[in-house]
Amino acid sequence: MRTCQSARQQKPVNMAGVGFRRWAQALSKGKGSGIPALLSRSRAAATFSKGSLPGPYPETPEEKAAAAKKYNMIVEDYKPYPDNGEGYGDYPKLPERSQHERDPWYQWDHPDLRRNWGEPMHWHFDMLIRNRVDTSPSPVPWSTMCKQLFGFIGFMLFMFYIGEKFPAYQPVAPKQYPYNNLYLERGGDPEKQPEEVKHYEI
Amino acid sequence: MGAHLVRRYITETDTEPDPAKKFEFDPQFGFAERKEREIIATQEQMNLAQLPVEQRDYCAQYLMKLMKCKRDNWPNFLACKHERHDWDYCEHQDYVMRMKEYERERRLQLRKKRIAAQAEAA
Repeated sequence: MRTCQSARQQKPVNMAGVGFRRWAQALSKGKGSGIPALLSRSRAAATFSKGSLPGPYPETPEEKAAAAKKYNMIVEDYKPYPDNGEGYGDYPKLPERSQHERDPWYQWDHPDLRRNWGEPMHWHFDMLIRNRVDTSPSPVPWSTMCKQLFGFIGFMLFMFYIGEKFPAYQPVAPKQYPYNNLYLERGGDPEKQPEEVKHYEI
Repeated sequence: MGAHLVRRYITETDTEPDPAKKFEFDPQFGFAERKEREIIATQEQMNLAQLPVEQRDYCAQYLMKLMKCKRDNWPNFLACKHERHDWDYCEHQDYVMRMKEYERERRLQLRKKRIAAQAEAA
């Protein structure tokens, strides 16, 4: 996907199309056909062509201007990734904002991607599409969210503590049970004589 | 509603009874003759009826009658009106007795405090 810019500058290359055309040519000419040839051709078609890879890291202002033009940007906006040998080359470092932040009412060329044709594309564009990472600001600040959540949890813990300390109950005596308050049923030892409990009518 | 909680925690913390603790006065105190509560259902009957422990109270015989009636009249769920009422009424009376016991304990505590205060004043 990120080769769209350069593909527009150079000749429009469709890798699969190239592979298929070569394969078809090879078949029609009848030379070099067979399984090994097919395998090698298809492997060649799976790699990047030179034009679809980013160029070398731009050093001079002229190179920068050329790279900016190549990526369809103005020179002021163009800023490459730092040259750490990570393979970004002259690819522009774009702000990490998700497509979800963009205006949904604007008439985008690609409304699903919220993207215009020819716009420079983030290196991790697939991460920033609308059903992936959303970088839009939260409705309330993070500190407010924390305060509300932990305030609520703290309040609930406090109220549970209060409820444990001062339980609410009905103003009645404990329920009375027959047979010495169900001594045997509550797991008392049958060998021992239980403490006799008598209940009276009132 | 909740007046007993106000008394327990704020106004009369020393006399309001706590149902979680054992009541301190003799059950016979202030009565000439007190009738003991009768349990009609035997332990064996309650075991055979597989009653849960919390339902093996002084109303267990009514509950067992209700359960038997429900079983015999299944699936007519409207059949055992009288049996259900008997059991409910027994449980209601049981609850009223508990309310009275609580009030008795509360008033005896107040009386004890009053007598102690009078003894101190004299």
